[in-house]
Amino acid sequence: MKRLLAFLLLCTCCSAFEQAKPGRVFEFPRDQGSHPEFRTEWWYITGHLDSDKGRRFGFQITFFRQAAEDGTTHLHLAHSALLDAATGRFLHQERLHREGWDAFASTDKLDVRNGNWTLKMNGESMTAKATIHSEALLDLTLTPSKPLVFFGKEGVSRKGASEQAASHYLTFPRIAVTGSVRVGSEEHVVNGQAWMDHEISSSQLDEGQVGWDWASMQLNDGTEVMVYRMRRADGSSDPHGTTLAWIDKAGAVRHIGSDAFTWTAGEKWTSPKTKASYPIRPVIEAEGKVFRLVPLKEEQELHGEVTGLSYWEGACDVQDADGKVIGRAFLELAGYSGDLTEHLRGR
Amino acid sequence: MGDIGIILRQCALRHWRLAWRQQALLLLILALGTAVHVAMRLANQAAMEGFGKFTETLTRDTDWTLRAPAGPLREEWLREMRLALDPLPVTLLPVMEATIVPAISSSQTTIGSLPTWRLVGMDLVALQNLRSSISLPASMEQTQDGDVFAGEAMAKAQRWKPGDVIEVVINDEVAALRLGSLIPTLPNLPAPPDNLLLMDLPALQKRLQRNGEVDRIEVLAPNSETFPTLRAETRERMEKIAAGRWQVLGGEDRRALADGMTAAFRLNLTILSLLALLVGCYLMFQALDGVVIRRREEIAILRSLGMTAGTIRKAFLLEAALLGLLAGLAGVVIGWLGAQTAVKGVAATMTALYGASSASSAALPASEWIIGVALSIATSLVAAWLPASTAASVPPAQALGRHAVVWQGSSPWRAEFIGLLLAIAAVLLSQLPPWRSGAMRIPLGAYLAALTWLLGASLLAGGLLRLFRVPSQAIATVAFSHLRRPSLRHRFAVAALTSAVAMTTGMAIMIASFDGTMRSWINRSMSADIYLSSAGAQSASSTHQIRSITVEAIRALPEVSEIASVNYAVVQLPDGPSSILGSDMAFAERHDLHAWLQKPPADWWQSDETLGVMNESLATRLNRGVGDTLEVPTAIGVQRLRIVGMYADYGNERGSVLVPAERFREWFGHSDAWRVALMLKPGSDEEAMSKKLQASYPGLSVFTQSHLRNEALRIFRQTFAVTYALEAVGVVVAVAGLGLALAGLMLDRRSDLTTLRAMGFSKRDLARACAMEGFGLGLAGVVAGGLSGLWLGWLLIARVNKQAFGWTLSFSFPWMQVLVLCIAVLLVGTLVAAFVGRWSSTLKSEQEE
Repeated sequence: MKRLLAFLLLCTCCSAFEQAKPGRVFEFPRDQGSHPEFRTEWWYITGHLDSDKGRRFGFQITFFRQAAEDGTTHLHLAHSALLDAATGRFLHQERLHREGWDAFASTDKLDVRNGNWTLKMNGESMTAKATIHSEALLDLTLTPSKPLVFFGKEGVSRKGASEQAASHYLTFPRIAVTGSVRVGSEEHVVNGQAWMDHEISSSQLDEGQVGWDWASMQLNDGTEVMVYRMRRADGSSDPHGTTLAWIDKAGAVRHIGSDAFTWTAGEKWTSPKTKASYPIRPVIEAEGKVFRLVPLKEEQELHGEVTGLSYWEGACDVQDADGKVIGRAFLELAGYSGDLTEHLRGR
Repeated sequence: MGDIGIILRQCALRHWRLAWRQQALLLLILALGTAVHVAMRLANQAAMEGFGKFTETLTRDTDWTLRAPAGPLREEWLREMRLALDPLPVTLLPVMEATIVPAISSSQTTIGSLPTWRLVGMDLVALQNLRSSISLPASMEQTQDGDVFAGEAMAKAQRWKPGDVIEVVINDEVAALRLGSLIPTLPNLPAPPDNLLLMDLPALQKRLQRNGEVDRIEVLAPNSETFPTLRAETRERMEKIAAGRWQVLGGEDRRALADGMTAAFRLNLTILSLLALLVGCYLMFQALDGVVIRRREEIAILRSLGMTAGTIRKAFLLEAALLGLLAGLAGVVIGWLGAQTAVKGVAATMTALYGASSASSAALPASEWIIGVALSIATSLVAAWLPASTAASVPPAQALGRHAVVWQGSSPWRAEFIGLLLAIAAVLLSQLPPWRSGAMRIPLGAYLAALTWLLGASLLAGGLLRLFRVPSQAIATVAFSHLRRPSLRHRFAVAALTSAVAMTTGMAIMIASFDGTMRSWINRSMSADIYLSSAGAQSASSTHQIRSITVEAIRALPEVSEIASVNYAVVQLPDGPSSILGSDMAFAERHDLHAWLQKPPADWWQSDETLGVMNESLATRLNRGVGDTLEVPTAIGVQRLRIVGMYADYGNERGSVLVPAERFREWFGHSDAWRVALMLKPGSDEEAMSKKLQASYPGLSVFTQSHLRNEALRIFRQTFAVTYALEAVGVVVAVAGLGLALAGLMLDRRSDLTTLRAMGFSKRDLARACAMEGFGLGLAGVVAGGLSGLWLGWLLIARVNKQAFGWTLSFSFPWMQVLVLCIAVLLVGTLVAAFVGRWSSTLKSEQEE
């Protein structure tokens, strides 16, 4: 879903906007904020929480900004989701506003809002607040425990053969989370770990791509893995838009190409609501290591109440070849519910 | 129950069968009383619903509505509200709203002839988030920026389809709006109102040149398990940061506001329909009394056979209840049919007085069936109580021998004494102050005084009959000897006539006084050559304004000698909405436009102090007067002004404060005009100028002085259209009652009639005698009714109107109208009596019916 809005760019010219180019010098905290000179931008937090009562939650709080073709106005989309692993209850909400009093992204620092959902950076920490349909409230403090990393070559992450199909991809791969989760009448004091992407682009997808699979893994040994593959209509991966990145304990990033790892789709789950079949148990093999992603619950599909676009984004455990849990992950599967490109063109 | 069943079957139903025409007539008359009441209630409710619809949006009831006490809300305050609400899941929906009317040039100068629609601006992007709880356009494909969206029902009624261009008047301009797509009616969601066009908020702000402003903010904050006190907490947080910039209104407050605004009008209608029912009650009594007389022999036989008095009474009451039931059912249907016509009148009146009401038809809910039928049965039982008691007390031997002593009621002197007491009570009740509840002032004491006065006058009226002298001429002797010794039936016939004539006379006096006062006010305050308003200004709630740029362009025309604008803003005073008017005071003074009740000092508008004058309605409502200070909310905060004058104003009952135009501009930041008056240079032709302006500004309504005066009077008279209908019903019922009373008397005197015929009286003689008796009854009713109507008229003017609306009216007595009414009642009464007399002369003494 994080690249959902980017699909809108498929049909439009992007000459009015800046392109992601190598050698851009980032300055912080300003570059944690918005870049309206680029067409699309998102701040994407996914994570795992454990409560003082022994409950486990998966959560997602994401903010998108998308400029209109002439760059004068912006739309802000946002998603929030919460999985209560104990009860299997999965809550999610989608929200859309035009830029203004109820949705904005500061250009000076990380300060984004969509209705009553907010994400702000104060010094070294961030605060994220979101509700889900008046049924849940997340009030979290996020403190990066590893430095910010930049994916791609010279700060540019390629998504296809075209040079324009690229983004600036900044990530906090491991963030310590504390705070509270209220579901129904129950309040949970929680702590855990999150992952946050901040991606900036104007046109990063190529023709012929129909969807993507993406995963972030936080392994118990203190390292992380980020992997994505852009899918073509025939189900194959686009080699120009496929990569796996190793992040060591110190935060150094090392990429490998599509020929150096495999993504095996694995068993599928069919959504009773949208009838889409998602390969929710992929197996990723790279450099002799096996990562089996096992969702905490099958039903972690977001139905796109506003945009009508469904995708699967869920909390998973990471198992090795022997089935031993070696970390936690978030998996995203988009483009499985009908023809995404056509759907977006139609709207 | 067995005996009662036999009586019902053998007596009541047999009579119903034998004299079905009379029964049908009786049912119809009974139904009429119910129908009037039902029609008024239904029309009233439909108009109120339409009024309610005018404030509705596309959502279900929102939890709160935020409104500025004066002027618009600033969009920038929304962010402040959002920050104050964090992190609560509250939806804030800013709304901008304008009234628009279709641009139809042919009917532009008849105020109120065009439907008033609402152009509502809401953020169509944000509304997508509420897809499950709001009616939204089916598709945004093929739509363009600035498109409007209409509900399916409205599009069907107007024969619109997506892509059509709709020409409307917005403020003073004719604008073309493109219909983007339709808003479907979805199950479980309220249907889009049929007077609403939806537009994207930024597009409407741009079109109205009101960037950064909204008119209200709808707030959705439903409680949930996670947020159990969300609604209350939201209100608390919103009020905490309001600092006088906005008010937080709940559904109850909104309904109370609409209720309060129209309460006086609706109460007037209800009281009038209840008075009509009172006259109907007299009629029912007479009809049922006639039934007892016709069946006296049967009752005597039943009593001789051992039936108890109680059984006879129960049987009659049951029959009355049956009649009430049937008449109630028929009355509800007739009332509903009548309401379809009445609702248009009531809605038009409410639109003219209070704001737009979109109602065009009245529904018939189950509750109205129950109320209508219950009312009919109850009235029948009340009316039947006395006849049923009379029936139960019929002495068998006397009744069979035709020498029954008819129950004459209490002593006439006693009845007249009670009447006198009631009249005195009425005078005392009329001195009571109105009952106040918020902005509402209900003249309860005055209404009670009217009722007591009518009852008192009715009782006293019977005494007039005894003033008749018995002449020597044989036929007259027969007629007037009965009047000299009036039976209860005579007294009831006169009472019914008295009530009807008094009501009609009182209303006629009130309307004539209104008319006279209005005329002199209109002549004084409408003395400019030409008046301009937006063509969309069809009602009191219209938001149409003439832009200041247009006013300046007109000022520059060579024919114009002077031009003056009236600016207008609605503000929320603690007890309800009022208007602040800005005006060129020097112009008003020069042309003596104000009817001062308390004249302000000369050149008061040039004072450095904040001064203002208020109209009488507001002074009454707020209980303030000259010398008092008033705090008024404005767009730049609450301002304090001192009242230096009071003027009569029959334009609205909301109340208004008049301040100099400069002050208004300072307070509300604009000088757009609500009304514009033009004085032309000598030699300029009003009609030619009017045509010129109309051609140059198709979005304006242009009135010459005479045309506007006529329009003002037409609207005023339209307001009283319903009242005329009620008066007519009252008179018809009273005259029908006179006929029934006489028919009852004649039936009662069958043996006398036989004797008279044997003595040589012809049918014509008997008809003449009866006509004279009817004339005598009519005369007593007309005299008593006319005299008591005079006081009733005073009561309506000096108490009811003054207390409810705060209007001082000068007393006018419509001689001609009252004279025509009296002659008509006398003539019709005499004719009906003659007809009854002729019919009675054919009665055989042994004939059953």
